[in-house]
Amino acid sequence: MGDGPVIALQDVTKVYRQGSVDIHALRGLSMEVEPGEFTAVCGPSGSGKTTMLNLIGALDAATSGSIVLEGQELGSLNKKELSELRRDRIGFVFQAYNLMPVLTAYENAEMVLWVQGVDAATRRERVMGLLEQVGLKGLEDRRPSELSGGQQQRVAIARAIASNPAVVLADEPTANVDSETAETLLGLMEELNREQGVTFLFSTHDPQVMERARRVVRLVDGNIASDQRR
Amino acid sequence: MNGPNVTTLAWRNLWRNRRRTLLTMGSIVFGVFLAVVFTAMQDRNWKDMIDLAARLGGGHVSLQHPEYLDTPTLTRTVVRGEAVETALDGEARHIAHAVDRVIGPTMLATAGENFSAAFIAFDPEAEDETTLSILEALDQGSALEPGDRDGVILGHRLASNLGMELGDKVVYTLTDKNGEIVSGLARLRGTLKTNAPTVDGGFCLLPIGTVRELLGYGADEATLVAVFLKDQRRSGGIAGRLDQELGETVAALPWNTSQPQLAAFIALKVGGAVVMEILIAVLVAAGIFNTLFVSVMERLREFGIMLAIGWSPGRLFRLVMMESAWLAVLGLVGAFLITIGPYLYLSSAGLDLTAVYGGTVEVAGVGLDPVLKIGIFPRNAVLICLFAVVATLASGIYPAWRAGRVQPVDTIKVV
Repeated sequence: MGDGPVIALQDVTKVYRQGSVDIHALRGLSMEVEPGEFTAVCGPSGSGKTTMLNLIGALDAATSGSIVLEGQELGSLNKKELSELRRDRIGFVFQAYNLMPVLTAYENAEMVLWVQGVDAATRRERVMGLLEQVGLKGLEDRRPSELSGGQQQRVAIARAIASNPAVVLADEPTANVDSETAETLLGLMEELNREQGVTFLFSTHDPQVMERARRVVRLVDGNIASDQRR
Repeated sequence: MNGPNVTTLAWRNLWRNRRRTLLTMGSIVFGVFLAVVFTAMQDRNWKDMIDLAARLGGGHVSLQHPEYLDTPTLTRTVVRGEAVETALDGEARHIAHAVDRVIGPTMLATAGENFSAAFIAFDPEAEDETTLSILEALDQGSALEPGDRDGVILGHRLASNLGMELGDKVVYTLTDKNGEIVSGLARLRGTLKTNAPTVDGGFCLLPIGTVRELLGYGADEATLVAVFLKDQRRSGGIAGRLDQELGETVAALPWNTSQPQLAAFIALKVGGAVVMEILIAVLVAAGIFNTLFVSVMERLREFGIMLAIGWSPGRLFRLVMMESAWLAVLGLVGAFLITIGPYLYLSSAGLDLTAVYGGTVEVAGVGLDPVLKIGIFPRNAVLICLFAVVATLASGIYPAWRAGRVQPVDTIKVV
């Protein structure tokens, strides 16, 4: 890992074909995200937020242009390498939490480490520490259905950062919780960003998130309309 | 606190939709139950028929003159000499009994009547019901005692037709080795009642020593040596080896060659049963496939998430296959619990079909007990279990493959 940006997008385009019509979701977008940034990507529906994070998350491929994550050009990686990259270097926090309903909070949080093949003792030490950090100590054995929305999102955050990823991509992480819980979650993510240097990249409509972000990137029609650092 | 693994995750996934899992288990249980009961019925039925046929005639393997099968006359004999004994000794671990018999036609005459009949001459000292099943059907009187040189046992209808009572005399006429007509005198010791017309109306048992003397046979000469095996399924292999060792003077024939009518009947029934079992298996497998496929399609989003966070398609494939494997295990355990009771009952007490058949049933010349009992060969039980596991796992392959083919971007939205 070099000292350069965690994420570098260079002239990225993404065109979807819908019937006989080409939809240009991204139009030559270029942007860099430095390590430790706390960035919010906002913009109206259809502005390309989803597409952008899908591409950075190695869930989809760009039509043209270059996406580099920690020095690795995503377009040059095969499916297996992309899967390993997602597992090892990217954390995901989804709007709907998307925890495994049959697993406990502890098991959900440790899943990525388990898939990585980390030994049980190390997993336990790491995950118990994380669950305490996100305020879920004592709730390790509860299944998602036994947790509130905010608690579930905390588990999702613990799962996302358990493997020390290069970046956490968060999909409207506060969209499904009340404003008080949203405030708490944002505080937690800020703390992780500040204390552990975790890089966060949010997509959001939530003014609370935009207020807290230290960088706000506004997309319009598939390109960057503004990019403000605070 | 232990983390998840594919095995426990699969187990828990299985119980997310309890009703569906129980229904699928039920179809496996039902399928295995049917397969076991049908197969056990056949195995026992065919085994009983083959054993009965063997005990009525030539054993599971019959040593006889090479031309006796085509022309079964009393002139075509086999001598149980040193060569035969050596060959039998070579297969001793598979052989339960080997007994000499003279089998042929005879004419029975009393003062007022005469009737033709088939006879089996046997050694009362060497044989009982174990090797000569017809003795089980003794209705009146007693069996031939060792040393009884002038006794005869007749089918009860034959005895009646001849107008005989126990102790009455009858003359039996045979054609000896040289083609001469010879006669013997015997007293009726007992009668047989099987409800099989060919036996009750046209069959008799004679002492082999007396018959040998009448026919001019040597002391170790007979029309066949009936060899009874510990497991009749080995008859083909053992007959082949004996035949090879005994050369051209003696033919060793398995029961299905010496009784082609019975063999054809069983082959026909087995063929039909196999088709039915395949149909059951296909129906059960289709049910399992449907369950697994629906369960996968319902979880596409979840699989998308799992792939997004680093699960490989191979690991997802293993997860769904593990769910199939759990289904197979649960199905087999359930099948065992459901089947064992009826199986034990039917294998010991059986199902009395007398009211349906009205007595002994005669099939391909063999009289069968109207009490239906079952008994599966262990090999077939293992095969059914293996088949159930393979069918369940095979039903999971496509859904498992489909799970691994999910495109995360199509099933989840990051933003």
